[in-house]
Formats: sequence, structure tokens, C-alpha cells
Amino acid sequence: MNTPRTDAGRRHFLKVSSSATAGLSLGFFVPERASAADVPQLNVWVEIEPNDTIVIRYARAEMGQGSMTSAPMIIAEELDADWKKVRVEYATAHDNLRTKRAYGDMAAVGSRTIRNSQAYLRQAGATARHMLVAAAAQQWGVPASECNASLSKVTHTASKRSLSYGQLATAAAKLQAPKEVALKDPKDWTLIGKPIARVDIPDIVVGKTKYGIDTQLPGMLHAAVAACPVFNGKVKTMDASKVENRRGIVKVLNLGEFVAVVADNWWRAKEALREVAIDWDVGEHGTLSSATIMAHFKAGMEQTELAVARNDGNAPEALGKAAKVVEADYFTPYLAHATMEPMVCTAWLQGDKLEVWSSSQNPEATLAVGAATAGVPQPNVKVYPVQLGGGLGRKSPQDFTRQAVMIAKAMAGKPVKMLWTREEEIQHGLYRPASLMRFKAGLDASGKLDALHIRVSAPSILATLLKLPLPKGVDGQAVASFNDHPYDIPHTLVDYAQRNTNVPVGFWRSVGHSQNPYGRECFIDELAQAAGKDPLAFRLEMLPNTEKSKRDRSILEAVTKAAGWGSKLPAGVFRGVAETEGYGSWTACVCEVSVNAKNEVKIHRVVIGIDPGYAVNPDNIVAQFQGSVVHGLTAIFWGENTLKEGRVEQSNFHDYRMMRLNEMPKVEVVIAPTGGFWGGVGEPAQAPLAPALVNAISAALGKRIRSLPLKNHGLSLARVQGPTA
Amino acid sequence: MSVKGQSRRQGVIRLLLMGLPWSLRPAQAQRMNSGQLLSFEAMVQPLVKGAPLRAQDVRLHAPILAENGSLVPVQVQVNSPMTAQEHVTHVHLLSQRNPVTQMAVFELGPWNGRAEISTRVRLAGTQELVALARLSNGEFRYARMEIIVTESACVDAS
Repeated sequence: MNTPRTDAGRRHFLKVSSSATAGLSLGFFVPERASAADVPQLNVWVEIEPNDTIVIRYARAEMGQGSMTSAPMIIAEELDADWKKVRVEYATAHDNLRTKRAYGDMAAVGSRTIRNSQAYLRQAGATARHMLVAAAAQQWGVPASECNASLSKVTHTASKRSLSYGQLATAAAKLQAPKEVALKDPKDWTLIGKPIARVDIPDIVVGKTKYGIDTQLPGMLHAAVAACPVFNGKVKTMDASKVENRRGIVKVLNLGEFVAVVADNWWRAKEALREVAIDWDVGEHGTLSSATIMAHFKAGMEQTELAVARNDGNAPEALGKAAKVVEADYFTPYLAHATMEPMVCTAWLQGDKLEVWSSSQNPEATLAVGAATAGVPQPNVKVYPVQLGGGLGRKSPQDFTRQAVMIAKAMAGKPVKMLWTREEEIQHGLYRPASLMRFKAGLDASGKLDALHIRVSAPSILATLLKLPLPKGVDGQAVASFNDHPYDIPHTLVDYAQRNTNVPVGFWRSVGHSQNPYGRECFIDELAQAAGKDPLAFRLEMLPNTEKSKRDRSILEAVTKAAGWGSKLPAGVFRGVAETEGYGSWTACVCEVSVNAKNEVKIHRVVIGIDPGYAVNPDNIVAQFQGSVVHGLTAIFWGENTLKEGRVEQSNFHDYRMMRLNEMPKVEVVIAPTGGFWGGVGEPAQAPLAPALVNAISAALGKRIRSLPLKNHGLSLARVQGPTA
Repeated sequence: MSVKGQSRRQGVIRLLLMGLPWSLRPAQAQRMNSGQLLSFEAMVQPLVKGAPLRAQDVRLHAPILAENGSLVPVQVQVNSPMTAQEHVTHVHLLSQRNPVTQMAVFELGPWNGRAEISTRVRLAGTQELVALARLSNGEFRYARMEIIVTESACVDAS
């Protein structure tokens, strides 16, 4: 059974082998067994039980992105494991710390799990296979080269002998691990590239999965929290006298940046919190509004000192000489993540030992923040893996872990589960930045695009959230898909005005690619129209079959072919197309829509495709793309956080609307891997969807839609199934 | 800041090179990690210049794991009597990967009483840190440690 284990039950006693002292590199660790009965471990990733069950460790978070299946598949491929006998278990951040990072980076961010770990995961699988084969060869007294491994068995064909991995594991674990083993040729893969059912789904379906929100500990207390409604404000005074003596209320804490009510159950804590009188010191940002932010962005457009992200040729000069100049401003709003499970973290501080169960995309960061907040040494912290009820980029920064540990510290000795309300989640997000984008293009007399100037006025996530120094003042996320556009345009200038506000910004699934491709690919459509050309032909003309743009071209061709681009559509139905590159993959999308007299958009078709190089688990890619369309359409039609008096105006799903089941169109996913590289899958689908859809809607309406969400243009999404009103 | 302060344990901060001139890097997809990892010799020899160098008498305290590299607390203690005859003259904090290897130099003298400094540094990704102390007799002592900077960022670059 492929059931993932989420408990940290078994203890392994590892010691660093001599080959693993190379500092930061990934070492393989030789187990120092506590007892002879312990299960043989071939390296930190692979353990084989006598009954042939293969335990493969997974080191990142699982939040629905499916890497908990895809990453172990990569190990199993090189191991020649029988997938039916594989069980996936989490590695922990504290083991990673103790073993000098044997599991490497643990963050599930940036669509990075596969692309950044495939090399060492393949090596781990291949190394273990090599040891099993060597053990069999030794036992039989034959050369290892005469032995073959397949489906968890080693076979010596000449003598028709075979031994299972379970039978070989103990002997194999005693062998010296080879330093490097040749990896399979991709044409010999038997598992990678096959649609494999996700290992975590059976438990999800029967309700057995433990999400962070499900953490239960003996004697556990519950905390509800409220931070200042104006970002970065503080508690001035707090009066909890009205609730302190209520049944179940244990303590009301003024923690400076926020107030926490600790109670015997969460509902009591949350209800009491409403009646704690808090006077907030909102600081100087109590007047911030969407209008003042827009003025701030517009001023950025007129800024004279700008960071230059790309400068090919001489765009200003070429624009001056152009036969035709087209200009447009595009705008995308702030967006909260609205993960299905709000921020949640359970922490238990006992003396100088801290235990944490956090719905975190980065367990190592959870450990670091937990230790720093509790004031305990890092080796004294344990971070237990829990499944995340969605992450979407919100759960990589550890603001909520810090809060929970602050509460646990105040309640030292008792485990406390801190859970945010939906209102807290929507109003204290790390928002996808709003962004104002200005496009100016020059076409020559034949309609060829000669010059493009893109100016972005937007906050910087890297400068404000991560406090990173920006190379040449450019936040690569703010100008993503502009600074690296693939089109053959002689003159391109991309410049950036960093316009930060008091609204905290963060990583929202696909980050800059959630907004910039919308501007870029819609504007390209405007140019095609100005040139009197078909939008697809216009793009293909600018994408020569060179190394630089061949994959943009091939994914565009694959998706438009699947969508039947150019074929006749029913009256009133219009198409839109877009293509992008991001997270190491290439994507394209075609949408077919009609808009009725009530301004309801009916989506007839969504054809969306990806070239991820190698498609590890096609079934999961389809799922990621379907999920991305749900998430993307939600943002495109309704997603927007607005500011008034320094506060986010939206608070819950009544005014921060999610897509409904009966509005969901069918999604046709095209997987067109060209091989030779490993691209990300969890985020890239967001990028081409908005422009393809909006291009289709603009075609249907006969006017351009240059800002999101679409609700602000009076548009709604028609129901596509279920009862009609 | 060049204050000849006698206060507490703080060394005199002469240079704090933390405004990293990353502008030399080309505009490209941003990575959380940057730069090449230098060898230990390449880190220390520009300062040591062949003088006697020993891995002793220096204690370097920092978290093994940092959530991100923007503010990493670092503490250095050097075992020295700190007398006029025998004291630590400088503590250098060296980065293996930052664009500027020498992140900070603290100038110390017998007036400090103890050779201890604490500060916060910015780290461009997982790397080794070296605390290098120059003694009044011209010899050097050092301690080194690895700091893991986790990458909590959905950035495009891999």
C-alpha cells in the first residue's frame, strides 16, 4: 500500500559516513542500528523491509501539489522498485538538521521540488539499486554485470536465480555506497512518464489524513488571534475584563503585535476575542486606500529614476520613428491566498524543548523561526510533518508559526493550537502585489513589431518581504515574463519603479507570472489587431525556431493544434490565445468564449498545455492544471483586495468570492514534453490562462479589457452545468 | 560609525559592508543563492597573508538554520586576556558566498576587556562563515561554521 506515514514514530540512529563530510553537499548516511531487528536502510531515502516493502522518504511539504508521489517515483525509477510495494514517509526538518541536511532543501515553493531535487533523488535510487545488485552478485559469486534488477528483484539470468530486495537488503546495507552511479537513459524509464495515482489520495478520501488543522494533543489549548487591522499596527491598550472569567477562557494575551485568546476550545476563544476591547495604534497608515495606492503607482510611471530590467537596442528612439505606436495600461489587483485551511500552527514548549506541528511549506524555516521565537537551541526543536490544506505560497513565510510559538511561550508547558479565522486570513495576507503595467509598442509599415517598452510600477516582494538587495534595483518577480520575453523584437526596454506600500506582499502561486503574462499577452493581441494579423500568426512570426524561442513556438503549436485554431466557430463564439514560459516550463492556452446580453461569459473550451521537459507524473500534471484553472478563474473573475482606511475591505467568501462547481468549464490539458530538462508544474498554468481568456472575451466584446478582476467590468461567469436559474 | 566606545562587550565597529553591491550582477531570473562558494584559503589569505593561523580560541555562535538570509544573528568570542601586551586587534566576519567576502571588521583593543562581538549579517544563501581574529602579535585564530539559509520563496529561478 502506498499510504504515506505522517507520524514520526520510528527513530533512526544515523551517523555521518566518511563520504558525507563534504560540508554542504548531500551526504548519504550509514545507519548505526539500535538493534539487529532494525530495518535495513540503504541511504537516507530508501529503506527496505524484509517483506519487500520499500520505504521511500519524501522531504518536502505536500499541499495538494502531488510531489509526495512524483518525487518518490523518481527514486523508485532508478531503484527499479515495484511501485506497488512502495510506501512513502515524510522526512523531518529536525532529522535534516541533525544529519547536516541529508535531505537537502525541504521547501515546497517555486514549483521546485522535482526540478531541484531530481538529480540527487535519481542518484539515491540508483545507488541503492547498485548496492542490492552487488549484494546479490556477492551471494551468488557472479559478476554484478551479469545481474539485472527489475520490479524489486535481482536476477542472474544465466543461472536463473533471483532474490527479492527484501531478501537482499540486510547484506546490501552493509556494503559501501558507490560514489556515483550511471543513471538510466530516459528511454529506459518504466515509471517516470506513467500516470500514477497519488499516494496521499486514499487517506484524503476516507478522512484519515492529518492536516495541520487536525492536530490534537492531550491537554491541548486553543488560541484565536487578532492582529491590527491596519498592517504593522500595534496594540495600544487591551481590556479583556468582559471575557476573562468566561467558561473555558484560560488567558487573554497582549503580545504587542497581536492579541490572543487562549481557551479550552477554539470556538470559545474566537467568540471571546470579538468582545476583547482592543485599542490599536495604527501608526501612520490609517488613511491608506486603493485610490492612494493607485496614485502612488501612477506616480511611479512618471518617475525618472527607474531600474532597467532589459534594454535591447534603443527602444525610445525606435518608438520615435515607428509607423504606428500603440499604448495601453494594464492593472492587476492585490490578492489574498484564501487557502482552504487558514493559517494554523500547534506549538508545545516544555522547558527548553519545543515541538511544532505547522502547516508550513518550509519545515526548516518553521524550525528556525520556532527556535528563535522560543529562545531555545535549534537542536531542541522538533517539527512534525503535517499535510497542508493548501499553501499557494502563503505558507512559506513563517509569520503564523512565530505567532503560535509566542503564544506557546506565554503558555509554557501546555500545547496550544493557534488557528486563524477566515477573516484574519483574508485581512492579514501576504498579498500578490497589485501592479500597474504600461506598454508602448512601435510597429513598422508592414505591421512588424519593432520596439516595445514596458514599464512596471509595483511593490517588490524580494525587497520588502525577504529584504533582499535587488540587482540593479530590479525585482525579477515584478518584471517576470517581460525581462525574458521570447519574442524577436529588435528594441525592448523594460523598466521598473519600485513602489512599496504598507500592504505586505508575498508569493501567490506563480507570483509575477500570475499577472505579467496577462498584460504582455493581451497587449500582443492588441498589436496583432493593430497590424491586422491573426494573433497566432503574429506570435509565430516573432518566434523563430531558434534555441531561444523554439519551445515557446512548439508549445504554442501543440496547444493551438489541439484547440483547432483557425477552424470555424459557431456564431458568437470567439477564441483567445497566449503563451508563456515560467518555472522552467513552457505553457500555452486557448480559450473559446461567448458573452450573452447579460454580460455572462460562457467558457466553451479551455485548452491548456505544458512542455515541462520530462513529464514525471502526467496524471498529476493534469490535476495541477485543472486546479490551476479553478484557482485562476477565481482570481480572473472575482479576485481583488481593496484598501480603505488602511484596512483590507474584504473579509470572507461573501466578498472574496471563490469559483463554484457549476461554473467550472471542462479543461483539456495538453502535455507536450520535449525532453532534456525538468520544469515545474504546480504554478506555470496560471500564466497563460488569464490572457487567453481575456483575449477571447475582448474579441467577443469588441473592446479591450485591461484590468482585473472581470467583475469590475460588469462581467460574470455563466453556469455551465447544474440547474439553471 | 567610528566611535571609540568603551561600552560593554561591543568591539568598535569600523566597517560594516552590508550594503552589498549586487549591481554588478546581470539582470536575470533572481536566485536566492548567488555567487561562487570560495575556498577557505581564498576567504582568509587576503587578510592572513601567510601569518600563523590556527583553528582555536575563537567561538562562533549563529543559528545553524536561518529562515532567510536577511538578518542572521552572529556572535564571536575570542579567548584572549585583552591586555596591552596580548589582545585581539581585529575580528573579521567572512562570507563564503556573498558578493563582498569581508562582511564586517571589528577593531578591538585592551579597552574592550573582553574580545566579544555580536551583530547581524545578511547572507546570500547557504554557506560557511569564518570568524577570523587577528592577535596583537600578528598571528590569526579562527572558527568556521556552516549556516543553512532556507529558501521560502516561490521565485521563478531554480
